[in-house]
Formats: sequence, structure tokens, C-alpha cells
Amino acid sequence: MKQRLTFTINGNPVEVYVEPKTLLVEVIRDKLGLTGTKRGCSDSSCGACTVIMNGYSVKSCSVLALQAEGAEIITVEGLAKGTKLSPIQRAFLDHGSYQCGFCTPGMLMSATALFLENPHPTKQEIKEGIDGNICRCTGYNSIVRALMDVSAGKYKEED
Amino acid sequence: MIKDFQYFAPKNLEEALKLLDKYADDCKIICGGQSLLILMRQGLVTPAVVIDIKGLNELDYIKEENGGLKIGATTTHREIEKSELVKKTFPVLSQMEKRLASIQTRNRGSIGGNICHGDPAGDPAPVLISLGASLKLSSVNGDRIVKVEDFYTDYFETVMEHNELLTEIQIPAAPKYTGSAYSKFNIISSDMATVGVAATVTLNGKNGICKDVKIGLGAMAPTARRALKAEKVIRGNKITENLLVKAGEAAAEESEPISDIHASAEYRREVCKVWVKRMVQEAYNRANMD
Amino acid sequence: MSNTKYSVIGKRVHNVDGPAKVTGSAQYTFDLTFPGMLYGKILRSPYPHAKILNIDTSKAEKLIGVKAVVTGKDTLGKKQGIWRRFPELCDEEILCRSKVRYIGDPVAAVAAIDEETAEEALNLIEVEYEPLPAVFDPMEAIKDGAPQIHDGVEMNININRHIEWGNVDEAFEQCDHIREDYFHCSSQAHMCMETHCAVSHYTYDKKLTVWTSTQSNYYIQALLADMLGMREGDIRVIKPHTGGGFGGKFELDSAQFCSALLSMKTCKPVKIVLSREEEFTATKRRTPMYYALKLGAKKDGTLLAKEVRVVTEGGAYTGMGATALYLTGFFSSFPYRYPNYRYDGYRVYTNTAPTSAMRGFGAPQAVWAGEQQIDMMAHDLGIDPIEIRRKNGHVPNYEVPGQAYIQSCGLHQCLDKIEEFVKSRGKLPPNTGIGIAAYGFMSGGIFNWFDTPYAFAAATVRISIDGKVDLYTGANDIGQGSNTTLSMICAEALGVRLEDVRIHSADTGICPNDLGSWGSRETLMNGNAVKMAAEDAKKQLLEIAAVKLKPNIVYDLDIKDCWVHFTNRPERGISYYEVVKDAIRAKDGQNIIGRGYYTPHRKGMISPAYSYGVQAVEVTVDPETGRYTLNQVVTAHESGTVINPVGIEGQLEGAIMMAGGYGYCEDQPMDDGKILNPSVADYKLIRACDMPETKILEIDTYEPEGPFGAKEAGEGLTNPTAGALGNAIFNAVGVRIYNLPATPEKVFRALQEKKAKEKEAKK
Repeated sequence: MKQRLTFTINGNPVEVYVEPKTLLVEVIRDKLGLTGTKRGCSDSSCGACTVIMNGYSVKSCSVLALQAEGAEIITVEGLAKGTKLSPIQRAFLDHGSYQCGFCTPGMLMSATALFLENPHPTKQEIKEGIDGNICRCTGYNSIVRALMDVSAGKYKEED
Repeated sequence: MIKDFQYFAPKNLEEALKLLDKYADDCKIICGGQSLLILMRQGLVTPAVVIDIKGLNELDYIKEENGGLKIGATTTHREIEKSELVKKTFPVLSQMEKRLASIQTRNRGSIGGNICHGDPAGDPAPVLISLGASLKLSSVNGDRIVKVEDFYTDYFETVMEHNELLTEIQIPAAPKYTGSAYSKFNIISSDMATVGVAATVTLNGKNGICKDVKIGLGAMAPTARRALKAEKVIRGNKITENLLVKAGEAAAEESEPISDIHASAEYRREVCKVWVKRMVQEAYNRANMD
Repeated sequence: MSNTKYSVIGKRVHNVDGPAKVTGSAQYTFDLTFPGMLYGKILRSPYPHAKILNIDTSKAEKLIGVKAVVTGKDTLGKKQGIWRRFPELCDEEILCRSKVRYIGDPVAAVAAIDEETAEEALNLIEVEYEPLPAVFDPMEAIKDGAPQIHDGVEMNININRHIEWGNVDEAFEQCDHIREDYFHCSSQAHMCMETHCAVSHYTYDKKLTVWTSTQSNYYIQALLADMLGMREGDIRVIKPHTGGGFGGKFELDSAQFCSALLSMKTCKPVKIVLSREEEFTATKRRTPMYYALKLGAKKDGTLLAKEVRVVTEGGAYTGMGATALYLTGFFSSFPYRYPNYRYDGYRVYTNTAPTSAMRGFGAPQAVWAGEQQIDMMAHDLGIDPIEIRRKNGHVPNYEVPGQAYIQSCGLHQCLDKIEEFVKSRGKLPPNTGIGIAAYGFMSGGIFNWFDTPYAFAAATVRISIDGKVDLYTGANDIGQGSNTTLSMICAEALGVRLEDVRIHSADTGICPNDLGSWGSRETLMNGNAVKMAAEDAKKQLLEIAAVKLKPNIVYDLDIKDCWVHFTNRPERGISYYEVVKDAIRAKDGQNIIGRGYYTPHRKGMISPAYSYGVQAVEVTVDPETGRYTLNQVVTAHESGTVINPVGIEGQLEGAIMMAGGYGYCEDQPMDDGKILNPSVADYKLIRACDMPETKILEIDTYEPEGPFGAKEAGEGLTNPTAGALGNAIFNAVGVRIYNLPATPEKVFRALQEKKAKEKEAKK
């Protein structure tokens, strides 16, 4: 039996009807067509599905859609303001903090959530901030360098 | 693929307990879902009913009472990790939470859910055991208190009745000159414990003898449990290197570790010896600074 | 190289796919949906070895929502493989007809309106198996009486390889010191973030389009054509953004083949995405190997002879495992000038998931064994480990007898740099050690076992009226950045800016053929093709410009930074954009088209060029538990001219994560052919908090064979880390680990054995 679910995603109100067993990531990718958020495992280990829910990073594969009732969700598609990329996105571009790019949306969301909580994290805090996201390509250090520059204030929000 | 189920999101505890009582035999409680959803997605668990208690704010709290702590069962790992109150009263809890899984999991997962899941390699249980903590189990029939060390019966199994809900974790006040430490041994930093050891030491004074000690072991038996024999070696004595080596050996001997893909039973025992020694030492150091 | 001023190459640029990737707008096969698309799932064997007696799909076919079911009976009954030149090595049906050979071998596939229905349908397919005795260890599989896995293959020996020069037996007689050592190299999973997936659409005009996560869309096109009995040109394979490959995605896989079959039955798009569990258990993996090494030297450290014997665990099918067998034997001779060398390798079938190619392609295994043995030899002779390598290392223009011509080689400079680093560390804290490993790796293979009639790489450049350059190349960007590197080469060669170039890659319907991204071939091979195409186009522009500029000869003109000018008087010239307009008008309104291609010719047996490096790994061991931390990894490395510096740094750091994992924690333990850790939770790999600090020391070299002097830098970097780690552990606590991965438990046991031996000795 489908139930009504309402929440906002990237600032936009959404109303869908889902079965209780539907996962949040399925609503995001399959129902809303926001395929930026990825899936890379079956046991909540890889972090590719990370989104921000009510200000915190969560793995959308491990949230029942109905548990997102009334929530504010941000996905990678919501990071840029129009055509203006967020500071973290710009830092990633400059540092080449991605290769195949499949883990990148989840990585960006974990990084964004980290900075929402703490605008000037240390190197260790940055590493811990992205430890829940596996990257098979970069070896993480270019991501850490990008985020350290963001932490040092080298990237500001563009007007 | 998850099997279909009926979903309830009760608005308060009373409603939740009523639902739990009604559907007791074929339902699961979901809160953070960080353990449950993995099992459901793999088809290992197929409840007909799922009761969502994530929205029960009345169970989301950390408060001090008589020098001890009371933590609501739906409190997230991240809340405990970041709580100034926890850092002040029982910093070992915050330190343990900091190494638990990933931030995403901690943002969502609840302490209650973790405890009820009953994974012997889980981080909270050994720590709570070493702190002498208790659990409040509630149902339509009332509440009862069970010590964490008496809570587990087997792998992923507890003494909970089908209609019971874990509502609160109670940590008693620690006497002066008490220190606690926890560490898990693993090879990838965010992994579950290959061996987990928590120790709480109470001295009878600065640099004094050990008045009391509780050691909680994780991943060394079908359940998290106390290393009673190791504690006996230490209790009442001055803590020395030699004593701790003997305690470690006792802990290794009284354990029932398994061999799996991560480590052999013998290796777990060897690590346990070293880890017990180190955690008791660390707890002792902290007790001295109390 | 470093003295020449380049406008584009060597600069730190944004990856051309960057904006798509950092906004989540990059579309992967995983993301694709089409109207009317069906979802496919594959039924796989639960037995490691069994006859298929019967498959009853009737119940599955009747399930509402199921649109097609296929089994081996729906195929042409052919077998395929990458080594097409040797038909006996094309041994994989993919969808099994009569026999299954590993747990996970596909037996049927279903297409349905959604994944859940497809999954349910799989449960309704009844397969009658007759289990057969199975064998899992190659050493057991070659014994008398072992179950025969493929008909007509005696002793389950799939293939053997022999490499030899000089006279090893005579040379051993002259050695002052000989060592014999045995090592084991484990398997490793690619663990691409995007699992294998494909969307196939067979349309009513009898043409097939396949979108797939692949490293070689051309291989997929050719192999599908053969397996489906279709004309190659009627199949179009498109590679969208791809979430990693690492050697696991350039063979025809079950997602591609089954989705194509299902689409042919329904004329609907069919999407198959392998689950992570299927990815771990039923796709190809790194080849595990048993290594027996015999090394002989003079007491002054001159290496005289090396004899290598290898048995590899082949798994159920050949795949690219034959190449790994050959390359491990070849790279076991690297990077030293052995006057006498002999390699015998045997690839043995086993009833386990097939083993094939993974980044390094047999070389990381060779280095794990070989570089530890070199250290052991140095230790025996009382010679410094850097010195012994210096004494015997490859040099520029060295010929590996009968095998390879090394042109550029910066090994010695790398050794110097690492020696400096080690010295700078001074006295290390207790239980801390630095280990080194040296390597050399190929820039693409010369061999044509795929038996392609095409040039190995080809490119077309098309210039439009506004000066925009469309670059068409078959190169497959799997994240290593070939789209960017090749765009940079094109821009440099043509004389325009990077923004003037737009690359179109990996679509067999539009782009020229290319062998794919493996063996680290894209920069050198495709780079050469792209450079040639760009220069071809440039020449056409210069011919037109010459009319206006009137140089003595056309070669006096060049283009740089969009300025067509006299090379000796650069201020005299015209804008590239003007020349383009003139050129198009002059050629009857035709776009300017430049063509290029590259196939290595007379470059030995293996590769046109080799990149070298020396890596130092520093560890601190906790002697009470054997656990250790990877403190830092410093790599001195040369890859000719650096085209894309951001790309190379990324390749190095990523390689350390992967190769470090190979040394430290990644493993696929098995029980009776069943992989015991087919989940990300249980497959240990290095995460951000475990990643060591990394430092790159780039050495300047110039490779004449490569575009602008460039050669490989992606795969070679995975060679040294495990070997260096093994040496580091020894230097830290005096124990040597012979079997990968070097887990804390193994280090602990070795330490206990050492203690016990020391105690015995004291008595």
C-alpha cells in the first residue's frame, strides 16, 4: 500500500507516493530522476549515496523514504546556485579531487556537511569527515588538499 | 530486495508500546535503521510490521542525574559523541562514538538500536559493561531494569521480550579516582572491532591500589561480556606491568573468540592479552588524574 | 623536455569532465534509463563445478511482468576470449550451456518490467545440476586425478609461457651466492565504484546499441558481433562516463552479453547492473600466483642469473590471464640487467572465479617477490639495497635480450632521489623501517593477441568555421583522465588552447577504433595518434596561411596559442581563427580534417616504451600485535614529459591506495571456491584515515617514442608498493612476509617465530 510522502529536496517541495519498503535513495534516483546520488554497495559501507538530511550527512540507502517525511534534503544537484558552483565544488575542480567521479557526489555531500558543522576543520577532521566515503581512484589526498584550502578560506561563496 | 511490510510511525511512547504489544511476534523496531535496513535489504530479516520510533523525541536526551548519566534510547551516536555533558562526565563514551563506523552512520544510528542489535563486535556494549550501565526496558506491562552485562544471551540475541522496547541507558555515577578507556583493534580505522576492550578502574586513592575494575570485551565471545577472571587478577591489588600481563592472559583464556576471515581465534586471544593490558593501564592513568 | 616551452601540456588544468563530475550531472551507464526499458537479472551457478542437466524456465516466463528469459540454448553456442589469435584460449561461453565451472557462472537471465520482478523470476527458474568434483588450488589441479575443468586440457594447464636468454644453469655455477625463495601473491578485487553494467537496445532494424561501463568499447563491439552472429558494423558500443575499470572491464562480461541477448528477444532496451556481491564473486579479479625465484650474484653484488617459476591460479576461464602470465615473467626481469634469465610460467585452471587483469597486470606480483628477494640478496652480501639496484639497474638504450628496447630510462635518477630521502630521515624511531622497491612498466603492449586488423590507436580532428576543434578518439576514459590528456596533446600539437578542443571518445559509431584503456597505453599510443591527427590538420592550415604569409617553405610557419606565425619571427603572423576561415573556404567549404594513427612497429616484443620508478614506504610496527601503520610513501618517478601533472599526481596517489591495499589488507579468502567476503563491509580497503602521506619526486626524462616525449604513468605506479612494504616491515622488525597480504596477524606470527628461534639459538 503506497503512502504519501512530502519533503523538500534542494529547496523544492516534493510529494510522492511510496511503499513503506522504498529507500530514500530510490526516491531520489528513480522517482525524482536525480541521478547524481549514486549507489555502490549493498551494505551501507561505501558512502556513494550520501546526501544531507536536515543538515546532517546520511547514507540515503539506509533511510526508509517514509522516514524523510518533512525533511530537508540536499543532494549534489543542490550544491550549485544556478550556474555558480559551491566553494567546495570549485576546490575539487582546481585540485583534481576526482577521477572516475562516481564517488564524487557522495564525497561532496560529506564534505559539505562537514563544513556546515565546522567551517575550519583541521586536516585530521577533514579525513574523518570523508572517512565514510570510499574512493577507489584518487587515494583521498587530493580531496583532503582541496578541503584544507576551503578550510583556510581560499574559496568563498560567489555572489 | 526488501519484503513488503506495514509501517507505523507512532507519535509518542505510549502509542509505540501499544503497537509493539499488538504486533509483537512479527515486527521490528526501526530507529536509525543503520543495522536493520542492511539486514532487511539482504532478506535476512522480513518483518510483517515495522514500527518507526525515530520520531519519538521524548526518547532523545542526555541528562545528568546524581552524577550519572541517563541517555534516551533514540539518541544518535553523533549526539553522544559531541555532547559536552558526555565529554565531561564519561569521556570514554564520546571517544568510543568517535570511532564508530562513519559520520553518516553516527548521524542517523541510535545508541539504543546498536545495543539491541547485539553484534558482539559492537563498540558501545563493552564500554557500557565496563561502566556498570543498565538498560530500561519498557512495555505495556511496565518497566524493568537489566544490566548491560546481563542483557545478551547469544549472537544478536538479548533477554528482551517481543513486546519490550529499550527506552533508556543508565550509567551510574563513578566514584572519585575512576578512569575508563576503550579501544578496538582493527586494521582499517573505521572497521568493527576485531578485538574490543573497555576498562574502568577505580582506585582507593591517588596512585592507590585498584579498588574495583570492570573489563568489557567485544568480539571475543558470542556476546559482549565482562572478563571476570581478568578482573579478579587485578581487583584489590596495586597495578603493575606484571599484574596486567597476567590479567591479559586471564582475559584471553576466559574468552571464546572465533576464527573468521578477519582473524584467527588464537590471534584474537593474543591481541586481547595486549589490549587488556593497555586499556587497564590507560584507565588507571586516567583514574589517577581524576 | 623541460627546456622546451609548452603552452598547454605540463600545465595544471581542470579535467575536461570536471564540471560534469563535480555537479553530479555526469551520466554513467548506472544512471541511464530509456522509455520502455526492461531490467535484467542473471541466474548464476551455486556450484563450483557441475553439469547442467536441464533448465526449466517455464514458471519464470509465466510470471507477470517478465518479458524474456534466456539460457545457453538461446546463444550460438560459441566461446569467446580476448586472445582471439589462439582459439583454444577463447574458452568462455558466458552463458553456460552444458557445464558450470565456478560459483557464479551464469546459466540464465531474465528481463522484466522492474528489478524486483526480475529477481523473483530468477527464483522460479529450475536448474538441474549434476555436481562434479571440483578443485580450487592450482597446485592440486595439476596433479593426476584432479578434476578436468575444460575438455582436452591436460593437467588443467591452460597455457604456459617461457622467456629465456643467456644460460642460467651455467651462470649459477659462477655465482658466489645463490638464493632460492618462495612467495605467494593473493587475488585482489578491482572494487570499481560503479559495478559492471550495460544497457543494450536491439532495434527493429536489426541493429544493436550497447551503452556500457567499459575500458574498451571496441573489444565489446567485436566480441559481441562474434557471439551474437552479427555484423560488427551493426553494433554500436558507447561508453558513457565510467566509474572505474582498473583492468576489470575490458572483456565481454555477463551484463553486456545477457542484456544484448534479452534485448534481441524483446526489441526493448534492457539494463543489467551487477550487484556488489556479483561484482566480487562473478567478475574477473587479479591473478593469484605462486612464485619460485632463484637468484645468483657475485659477491660484489653483480646479478648474474635469475630463474623464475610461476604457477598462477587461473580460475575457470582464460580471459586476460594469459597476458598476466606473460607479463609477470617479463617484469620479473625488471628493472635489472640480468645477463642470464629464465622464466617458466604455468596458468592452471581452477574452479574459482576467473582471474585476469588488474592494474599492474602481473607486475605487482613480480615486484612483491622480486624486490624482496633483491633486498634479501643485498642483506646476504652486506651491500646497501640502493647500491645493489644501482649496480644492476636498467639504463637508457638497454636491450632486454630478445624482448625489449629501453629508450628513455630514469631509474638511476630515481634511485638517487630515494637515497636522498632515506638519508634525510636519519635515525628512525624503534620498530620503524623504510623499504624500497624499484620497477619499470610498459606503455601499452605491442602484442596483438586480439588479432585486430586496425591500428592500435587512431584519431580524427575536425576543425569548424569558428576554430573549434572536435577530436574523435577511441580512447576510453575510465577516470584516469585520458579525455583531458589527449585534449591537451591535441591543443598543443595544433597550437590552440585547451578550451578550443572538444573530445568525443569511446563511441564505435563515431570514433575510430582503439584497443582500450589497459596496459597503460592511452597516453603513448593514443597520444601519438592524436598528435599526428592534429599535426595533419595543422599542416593543412599552414598551407593556406603560407599563401598570405609567404614563408620560404611551409615549415617556417607554426601555430602556438592560436597564432599562426613565422617560427623565427613570431611577431609576424595571423590569427589561427582567420586561417581556419580561409582554409575552409579554400577547401570547398569542407571542415579541416586531420587523421592520425599509431601502431608500435619494430619495438621488441612487449612495449614501445617503459616508465621507471623507485618507491620508499615507511612503516611503524607495534611488535606486540604485529599491526603497523603506513606512515608515508615517497615515490621518485619518471614518465617522460609530463602532459597532465594533476592527472599524474592523482594516478600516483590512487595507485598507492590500491597497491598499498594489495600489500596491507585486501584479500579474497575462499572456502571450496566460495569467496567469503563479497561485500564492501568485509572487503578491507584503505580509506581516508588509513591513507599514508604521499610525496612525488618527479624526474625529468624524455621518451622519443612518446607524444612530446611522454610515456605511461598510471599502472606502473601500482607495481612497487607491496614489495616496498614487505621490505619496510623487515627493516622495521626483522621479519619477512612471503604471502600477500602482509596482515598484522602474519607479522605477529613471524615475530613469534623469530622470538622462538632466537630463544633456541641462545640455548
